Amino acid sequence: MTAGVLPVWWDDAADGPTNMAADELLAEEAERRGGLVIRLYAWSEPTVSLGAFQPIAEAEASAAIAGLPIVRRPSGGGALVHGTDLTYAAAVPRSHPWGGSPQALYDAMHGAMVAVLGMLGFDARLHLPSTNDPPGDALLCFARRSPGDVVVCRPGRSAMPTDPKVMGSAQRRLGTTVLQHGSLLLTTCPAVTAEARHDGLAELAGKAPEWTAKSLADRWTALVAEPLGIVREFQPQAFAAGRGQEIASRAGRFRDRRWTARR
Amino acid sequence: MAEMKFAKSHEWVRPEAGGLATVGISKYAVEALTDLVFMQLPPVGKKVKAGESLGEIESVKAVSDIYAPISGEIVEVNAALPGQLDTLGADPYGAGWIVRIKPDDPAEMAGLMDQAAYDATVKS
Repeated sequence: MTAGVLPVWWDDAADGPTNMAADELLAEEAERRGGLVIRLYAWSEPTVSLGAFQPIAEAEASAAIAGLPIVRRPSGGGALVHGTDLTYAAAVPRSHPWGGSPQALYDAMHGAMVAVLGMLGFDARLHLPSTNDPPGDALLCFARRSPGDVVVCRPGRSAMPTDPKVMGSAQRRLGTTVLQHGSLLLTTCPAVTAEARHDGLAELAGKAPEWTAKSLADRWTALVAEPLGIVREFQPQAFAAGRGQEIASRAGRFRDRRWTARR
Repeated sequence: MAEMKFAKSHEWVRPEAGGLATVGISKYAVEALTDLVFMQLPPVGKKVKAGESLGEIESVKAVSDIYAPISGEIVEVNAALPGQLDTLGADPYGAGWIVRIKPDDPAEMAGLMDQAAYDATVKS
């Protein structure tokens, strides 16, 4: 373990199976280092990542995401359409202060993002359960709203229980580690049909964006590290560097139809 | 009733008549997961080693593996459970049982924690 450091990798774009395989290795890296690790990454083409147990038939029948490649995550939650989001994977040992209960890691990641968005002028908050919440089994993650999701008030309006969600996360709780996937919607995704699109930060800003994905990630990861009393350290190489063969080997499982259509 | 033993990964196992052992997950684990939505059970006849995944359970935002606390063959599953996940919270040590295993080595249970030791780990 490198004491006092939160290692953060910023990886190049890759396809869905490669990203899932890299995240599986990231969980092992968290165990090896004995602390929190974060990987930020992009996608080589707009891709749907399906929650661990979402029915494949529902995804394949959805006109909203027709024609997009689908990869199944090991983590739970709803389907995400990647391409205009900031995607992250975070992993901690289960013995870590944020590894004990599912909500601890959500709140740590999402709470830091609320603070960053506040600095940028957004009226952001963690969602509280409401009777107005949409069904919890909606196909798309951004059509769902769970306690602790990051929601943003529309410019010039008061906070409403129906304020749009801009960040959601989901976990895989492994034997000794926790892997959390999450997505911050930067701008609405044109790969989704118009009626199924959700506003991202750019649409909710009400003005020209004064941030980039990198500047957001810079502030966010620094704030994530603060309560742990450690310092965020961007790694000089991509996480995939030196792990390419292992990632390629593991990606095979995520390319396999038996995994993608397991339910 | 025979003494229940616990694994670090929050599964319990209880010896039954006929040499079988019943397996479930602890009340603490169920409460930590909250709002269960889906469960996948293993097929009857599957052989598992202690520490291997024998099923998966999904709550609103997290998927967790259920690990075999002992090695053996799955001889029965609680097939009604995935359709009645509330039972896991209401009666985790009774009607919320998950599988029955024919142990490879009944003595393997001696390496697991008793209730007091398990309670101490989840309170620490």
